[in-house]
Amino acid sequence: MRSIDIHAHLTPQCFWRATENGGDWHTLRREQDSRGRQLALVGDRRGGLPPKARWTPEERMADMDSLGVDVHVLSPYSGFYNYQLPAEVAIATARDSNDEIAQMVKSWPDRFAGLGTLPMQDVPAAVAELERIMSAGFKGAMINDQVNGKLLDEPEFMPFWKAAEQAGALILFHQGDGTIVDFRIDRYHLPNTIGNLADRAVTFSSLVLGGVMDACPDLKICLSHGGGYTCYGIGRVDRGWRGLPDSPTKPAQPPSAYLRRFYYDCIVYTEESLRFLIDAVGADRVLFGTDWPYDMVFDWPVSWLLSLESLSQEEKELILWKNLENLLDL
Amino acid sequence: MRSIDIHAHTFTRSMFAALDAGRDWYGMRYEGEGRRNIAVKAGKSVGINPKLRFTPEQRLADMDQLGTEVQVVSLHTQVFGYHLEPAAGLAQAQEVNDDIAAFVKEAPHRFAGMATLPMQDVAAAIGELERAVNTLGLKGAELDTVVNGRNWDEPEFLPLFQAAAAMGAVLFFHPQPQHNVMQERTNRLAMPNCIGVPLEDTLLVATLIFGGVLEKCPDLKVCVAHGGGPACFGMGRLDRGWQVRAEARVNISKPPSAYKRQLYYDTVVMSETALRFLIDSVGIDRVVLGSDYPFVPWEPSPAGWVQGLESLTQEEKDRILWKNLEELLGV
Repeated sequence: MRSIDIHAHLTPQCFWRATENGGDWHTLRREQDSRGRQLALVGDRRGGLPPKARWTPEERMADMDSLGVDVHVLSPYSGFYNYQLPAEVAIATARDSNDEIAQMVKSWPDRFAGLGTLPMQDVPAAVAELERIMSAGFKGAMINDQVNGKLLDEPEFMPFWKAAEQAGALILFHQGDGTIVDFRIDRYHLPNTIGNLADRAVTFSSLVLGGVMDACPDLKICLSHGGGYTCYGIGRVDRGWRGLPDSPTKPAQPPSAYLRRFYYDCIVYTEESLRFLIDAVGADRVLFGTDWPYDMVFDWPVSWLLSLESLSQEEKELILWKNLENLLDL
Repeated sequence: MRSIDIHAHTFTRSMFAALDAGRDWYGMRYEGEGRRNIAVKAGKSVGINPKLRFTPEQRLADMDQLGTEVQVVSLHTQVFGYHLEPAAGLAQAQEVNDDIAAFVKEAPHRFAGMATLPMQDVAAAIGELERAVNTLGLKGAELDTVVNGRNWDEPEFLPLFQAAAAMGAVLFFHPQPQHNVMQERTNRLAMPNCIGVPLEDTLLVATLIFGGVLEKCPDLKVCVAHGGGPACFGMGRLDRGWQVRAEARVNISKPPSAYKRQLYYDTVVMSETALRFLIDSVGIDRVVLGSDYPFVPWEPSPAGWVQGLESLTQEEKDRILWKNLEELLGV
């Protein structure tokens, strides 16, 4: 029995080192609030970092051991997408982050695999960085649901999708820099607890109805947080598709026919919702993920999954490791 | 077999009387050719489905075809007047509510009505709700999921909820189908209607729960359109947020999922699997028939769709089709 975690973030040590004594990491800085919490300063924004975000690879592996997680497919902290900053900053932070992930994978190949981060505000630079990291053995990259307000089916991103398809890269979607709910309400943690799920549904619709999935039939996409509201709300999206005017990018099949073109992590928190997801997309499309090391992480994720009575042993094994072993050749 | 539909849109006679005469109706007028669109306010245009012009007789004939016994009619939210000056908002609500009450009187065994309230003035809204329920005989009021950018957890709205609970009035929440939060990201690919609408429903459920409205008003009767969107499917993440974030616990003493059974949810979820999930999540006594009349082409009809579902027992179907709403509305 293995367990491979597709949703595990890294705040790179190069950031912590560079900002140790008030210094900056490609203009990013760090401060401590009155309660002793570490904050990353990115442009004009502040993001809180939990204590585990500072852990060394050795400390991380000890935690993985205690949780029963064999492999982290590392992805960078989403607060460091840096799409809103000058492209040269995002290019520099992406290279640093990705190089650190490459080093971790090289040092502990049985415990880590890598997803990179990309400077998506500069598509040629993003393509170049994707090709660089894929040559270095990465499995793909993690990107935001939107790039400075633009959805990923906008024509300017098509070269990126073609490159990702060509390279066989897995693209993991994960919010950063807020969600659509921020436009309405900032209370009760709803921008995260509703916004993440809404943004993932927007991404699904954007890629399917915008024609990206048809243009790139071999593209590999994983929607984090179980794809959010995608599978539950697909009936209404199918109805909307029927009413769309004909266009060169309108898909011939309803959106529900594309559910199985995507992968989904299992971060849905309840057995009923996980069962619904599996029944909607198939157990071969659901991947183990935890959201390490943030507060919304699954507690004891392997034990939880193994305890579920409505899943067969084969389904649990597919989710915990078999699907990711096949998908990422791990 | 009875069937009572809580989610049935209408426009009103006085609106068409004004527009057809070439007059403004609370700042709205026809735009373009053929009286097919209304300019509501700057940047907001609304299409007119022909069935929304039906007389009571025409609508009854259509309901007979659909096998719907009773419709609870409410004004299409797209022409709500929350943006108007308070006096105009109150005048519009009074006119609409008089019209809906008159519409219901044409066939009181086939229609029930929901009022519209001028939410830009909470005191006036409470007064109009009292008039609508106690004088006009309406069952409650239909409300938008947001009031001029303000969410329903704002303390200014609590007196309305307390008044509605005291009156036994039912509040039916329904978002703007096209002009909603999704516009902040995109208007493309039908996303405001397909994702924005259920997102609005979900935000409404969360706001009533996390804002403490349901804790403070345990007897409040609320129904949320479109099955509350994916609120119940995503409830586990709301519970986790409540568990780990202090800001999620400021108004409520229990996890959010503990409040979900205080609400009613209609059947406009667009799949059998989603409806089954909703029933298992909130209980069969909390799910009620809605059709979204006249916008959803149910196969073969709103009640017929429910009757044909294999994963529901007959007792569950009876609860959804009429028993729950018979109890809730007294119809």
